[in-house]
Amino acid sequence: MVGSPVDAATLTALVPATMLPFVAFLLTFIFTRRFPRFSAGLSIGSIAVSLVCSLALLGLNLKMTGPMQYSVRLLASSGLDIPFGFLLDRLNLLMIVVVSAVCFLVQVYSLGYMAGDPGFSRYYSFMSLFAWAMLNLTLSPTILQLYVFWELVGLSSYLLIGFWYEKFSATQAGKKAFVMTRAGDAAFFIGFLLLFLHTGNLSILDLNGRAVSAALPPSVLTLSALLIFGGIVGKSAQFPLLTWLPDAMEGPTPVSALLHSATMVAAGVYLFARLFPFFSMSPAAMEVFLAIGTISMILASTMAIVSRDIKKVWAYSTISQLGFMIMALGAGGYFAGIFHLTAHAGFKSLLFLCSGVFIHRYGTNDVYELGRLGSRRMIVPTVSIIVGAAALSGFPPFSGYFSKEAIMGSLAELPNPAWLAAGLAGVFLTAYYSFRLIFILLLPRAWEAGPPAPISTARPPTREAGGPNSQSPHAGAETGHESHYWVMAWPLIILTAITVILGFFAGPVKDFLQAGITAGGTAEGGAFAWSHVAALGLAVAGAVLAWLEFGRSGAKQIGFVERIPPLYRLFAERWYIDHFYRLLVNLVVDRGISYLCYQNDNKVIDASIDELSEGTIEGGRIVAFLQSGMIQYRLLVIFAVMVLLSIYFFFQVI
Amino acid sequence: MIVPFGHVLMVAGIIFALGVFCAVVRRNLIMIVLGIEIMLNAVSIAFVAAALRWNNLEGQTFVLFILAVAATEVSVGLAIIVYAFRRTGSFDPSNFNLLR
Repeated sequence: MVGSPVDAATLTALVPATMLPFVAFLLTFIFTRRFPRFSAGLSIGSIAVSLVCSLALLGLNLKMTGPMQYSVRLLASSGLDIPFGFLLDRLNLLMIVVVSAVCFLVQVYSLGYMAGDPGFSRYYSFMSLFAWAMLNLTLSPTILQLYVFWELVGLSSYLLIGFWYEKFSATQAGKKAFVMTRAGDAAFFIGFLLLFLHTGNLSILDLNGRAVSAALPPSVLTLSALLIFGGIVGKSAQFPLLTWLPDAMEGPTPVSALLHSATMVAAGVYLFARLFPFFSMSPAAMEVFLAIGTISMILASTMAIVSRDIKKVWAYSTISQLGFMIMALGAGGYFAGIFHLTAHAGFKSLLFLCSGVFIHRYGTNDVYELGRLGSRRMIVPTVSIIVGAAALSGFPPFSGYFSKEAIMGSLAELPNPAWLAAGLAGVFLTAYYSFRLIFILLLPRAWEAGPPAPISTARPPTREAGGPNSQSPHAGAETGHESHYWVMAWPLIILTAITVILGFFAGPVKDFLQAGITAGGTAEGGAFAWSHVAALGLAVAGAVLAWLEFGRSGAKQIGFVERIPPLYRLFAERWYIDHFYRLLVNLVVDRGISYLCYQNDNKVIDASIDELSEGTIEGGRIVAFLQSGMIQYRLLVIFAVMVLLSIYFFFQVI
Repeated sequence: MIVPFGHVLMVAGIIFALGVFCAVVRRNLIMIVLGIEIMLNAVSIAFVAAALRWNNLEGQTFVLFILAVAATEVSVGLAIIVYAFRRTGSFDPSNFNLLR
């Protein structure tokens, strides 16, 4: 199964779309660091061109028949070919539009958010690097190329999380994100090496085709699918490796909006969708994926309902929504997962960007404090955040409703009703935590009645205090604030509009995607109406519960979980996953591996060198006994030797 | 030749052995140089005897060279010894072991 060649018009749109952000990255990184406005212009200009090209690509190929592939040979050695190029099909047409659109909006927004930051040019160069890597990741025709850009995306994530590197917690968070995703990527790497050993081919189209994968033994298929899924778990912050994402909120808010909710973490889900026919050949692996998606979804939702940090709430919610996508894909709902990815990219970046406006204005991340400081007086972000939260909870007519409905439909088709039940519970929790936050923001209480005294283990709200833009969040020139506000408000308005209207395009998107997928087992239709009703009902129930506890006048704004301290502590401490990792690192790495290495260093390497040098010294001392420095001994030896030699020759001659 | 060649060689050998003994045993730099001189003289006797034995003047020529070398050696050697004595105040060779 080889894709048809790419026509010239498509190629002329592809090359600038993928290369310009890289050029912008190099220029801004090397030459224009002193000229922040110029850097921002370059970066935004390049991503705007990418956006236009992506839209043109979508327009050109709206009626495409099959995947198109264009590749050149990058490396060749005996029997090994490493191609490099583009693969274009319906899935990544949709994806590049999403990526470039969100990148563009976030970069425009950052003009306001990052204004005056000393690292302004650096910020834009990293954003360009990310845009380039992400666009190429989506267009990669082989897993190897995908992996290269996958790592580059991870690198830009690391750089942007630790963007305010003067802040210790930011650098720590960057390291944590890097190390944890790397753990998953190692599995991913082993997984595709295994595939390569068995098939000698890493082309995505070939792997998705039946012939190559049918030749694999089922055990190898399942094993490599699970290992590749390890990369997805790392990148999309799923169950065992989910704790890096909340910490990644140390980065600037636009970064969280772009990388850690809308696009980069969705790369994992994208990979799942990319290799969907391949994965669906292993039912056992699909079952595992479904389970992991469900666990992450539920865990992250429970963490979100107790967090006081507005960005962390959205981060947990991102994890749980990614869990939803993986559940949908694991259940065979190809369209449901992709559509939820698209819708989520819109409304979650919207939510983050709204929070960014509040954070930028008031300099705090704490929801209660934001509400008290009067964030509801900012009309545009307040309206946008309500729309975003409604979409997140799955209320019609916003995009989230349609995608959640599709997910519930695909879950309802599974034989085991437990998955559907878990999904419905997730819907309830999602609505609850979204509207909890909204009500806290909109209807603040005075301190006295106010929030529950934080239990000692709760994390104090982290301010983005290291961020230079918070040096004078209030005192800044009011006109400057005003212009920043509008620069930030426009992307919000656009994203809100997208969130509102995207849902009505569910049908066309579905047709568009369904035509693209070739493998079987993705039966979609015949969704059960009652599951939709149940989902909507539970979402409303969640919102009503949030209203009762946080919204209605006289409510104490204490959640039902906070009334049960052990449960609250469990959720606030993220189910002790971080503690578990800390323990694991202590036991295995610190006391195990590094102790062994330390002993080896001390007792083997150092000791042997010490022994060697001491032996040399001792040997020298022993040899020095032979050397007395007396000339007469030497003379004596010379004579003795001469005598012996002469005796020897004398007898030899005879 | 009145004295047999073998006897002359015997005398030369004895004198050489005495020289060796002197050079190795005595703990005095001057005596070591003296021992070396005695060894040179023993060799000279052997050369002269050999020249007479084979009627060849080359042996006597060698002896003249040896005398010249011995004279030089004594003058240079004694100068070194005097200098060393001035530096250390001793003739004992066991004191001169800085390179040990």
